[in-house]
Amino acid sequence: MIKGEQRQAIEDLVYRSCLALDARDYKTFLSLCDAEFRYTVTTHSPEIRRDMVWLDHDRKGMETLFANLPKHNSDHSPITRHATVYTVDAAGDAAEVVSAIQVFRTQLDGGATELFAVGRLHDTVKLADGAARLARRIVRLETRQLGYGYHVPF
Amino acid sequence: MSKNAAQWSAPPKFPASHYVDSRIYTDQQIFDEEKEKLFRPAWIIACHESELQAPYDYRLFTHPAGVPLIIVRGDDRKVRAFYNICPHRGNTILYDPAGNAKRMTCIFHQWAFDTRGSCVEITRGEQGYQDRFCKEDASMREVRCEVAFGGFVWVNVTDDAPALREFIGGAMDILEPYMEQPMEVFHFHKALVRTNFKLWHDTNSEFYHDFLHYFNRITGMMQPGYYERRYTPFANGHASVGSMQIQYDKYDGSKERAVGWPGMARGGWYMVDLFPGMTYNLRTSVMRIDTSVPISPNEVLIEFRGLGLKADSAEERAQRVFDHNMIWGPFGRNLHEDLLGVTGQGRALRQGTDSRYLLHGREENNTIHDEVGMRHYYAEWSRRMGRAAYDPYREGKAEPVRAAA
Ligand code: FES
Ligand SMILES: [Fe+2]
Repeated sequence: MIKGEQRQAIEDLVYRSCLALDARDYKTFLSLCDAEFRYTVTTHSPEIRRDMVWLDHDRKGMETLFANLPKHNSDHSPITRHATVYTVDAAGDAAEVVSAIQVFRTQLDGGATELFAVGRLHDTVKLADGAARLARRIVRLETRQLGYGYHVPF
Repeated sequence: MSKNAAQWSAPPKFPASHYVDSRIYTDQQIFDEEKEKLFRPAWIIACHESELQAPYDYRLFTHPAGVPLIIVRGDDRKVRAFYNICPHRGNTILYDPAGNAKRMTCIFHQWAFDTRGSCVEITRGEQGYQDRFCKEDASMREVRCEVAFGGFVWVNVTDDAPALREFIGGAMDILEPYMEQPMEVFHFHKALVRTNFKLWHDTNSEFYHDFLHYFNRITGMMQPGYYERRYTPFANGHASVGSMQIQYDKYDGSKERAVGWPGMARGGWYMVDLFPGMTYNLRTSVMRIDTSVPISPNEVLIEFRGLGLKADSAEERAQRVFDHNMIWGPFGRNLHEDLLGVTGQGRALRQGTDSRYLLHGREENNTIHDEVGMRHYYAEWSRRMGRAAYDPYREGKAEPVRAAA
């Protein structure tokens, strides 16, 4: 059973992870993640009737990805992640956390905002010494049509 | 020194084959003609056979000319294609993009069809039609369909168009040795992009834009052999691009694509661009297929597929998926850059911007930065459209004098 303050710490972690990525503050994002952190984007294609992996990196891979991005030509319009923690289930010294996520993209010129993607975050959060750390994040996207795409993971 | 209006509007100092009028990317009438003259008679990739593994498996595909199609594997395992239009009152017969349907039953009045296109049920038929109309009168419209060139399902909605082999000619010769083992689709996504479909094909037909891709600059352009890659033009507007050895390990986070591809030299990369809007792209460990479905002059829906080998172990497949996603997934480094690039073209070329010409003037002995791929495409485009790409409205623009070589 998750105690009230643990749930508080877990929700705080999920929201801070979104704020850090929104701000492209990768250092802060990685500081919320465990050394064994792994990040995956998955989705299901009803067209080919298969589960697909669209991105999959361990912590080192995420660090490299973040370091590489400035060398690339990317869409500069900011995205904002809106998460709502739905369920938190205890699993030993960790918790399985399911959140809803909506990602909005705002055009730099004129500031029009569009819904970019919806999905769920399936997080494994490690709890130790009162601190919560992100050990695993699986972003399960519902949205599969992302136009010209994006370089920064959701 | 900049240009004034007259200078900006003057045709480029190239032979007319070496530039196009930008209105071919924006004009609604030209767009409508393209669907009829380029797409309707062409052979088009609808899907891959691995998407239809079992009898009665089906897959929907909207043909670029506009026709909604059902691709279905029959009880005899043969793959056939039909209009997804009910012969009764025109409803859509199958709604889901894929599935398994022993009988294809229209939800509206429950007419049913088998996988060979025969009508097998007209509800209360005799009561309503007596002997004036029967199941034999209510067959589905079948379109030509062939599984070929790597197990792809090709369709042609024009009954008397030339055969697939004739349409392709020798364009796939460069890839055939690498498509002997059965492949399997592991990735599919669609991207709706605000640009003209030809601009996407142009990007797939020129490598000069490797300057756009940090990944390609350091794994390709800066490596030996890069400038020896060559374009080979084929009849009907197709072209292929030869290989080099890509140095994947030069990009941080990428490594040599150890999983490779049967028969292909290390780091190999072959491409085939097929008229009017499809591309085979075999990049060492992954086959990517693009199929463009034009929506409007400034909108194209691109279907992207990633394929590995059917015989892959779980580890091999995971490696191919990783390699694919690194550059080609929706979050991949190159695909985003390419799509951003053509979106920018779409923005600058849309109607009313006073864009005039696009230059296809690079000549480097058909090697990698030569723009012969696009010139070849537009020669075929002009032939089929009965309009010159450099003078689409027959305004009689004089061909300018070629600048001294
Ligand atoms: S429209 Fe299909 S059964 Fe009537
Ligand atoms: Fe590219």
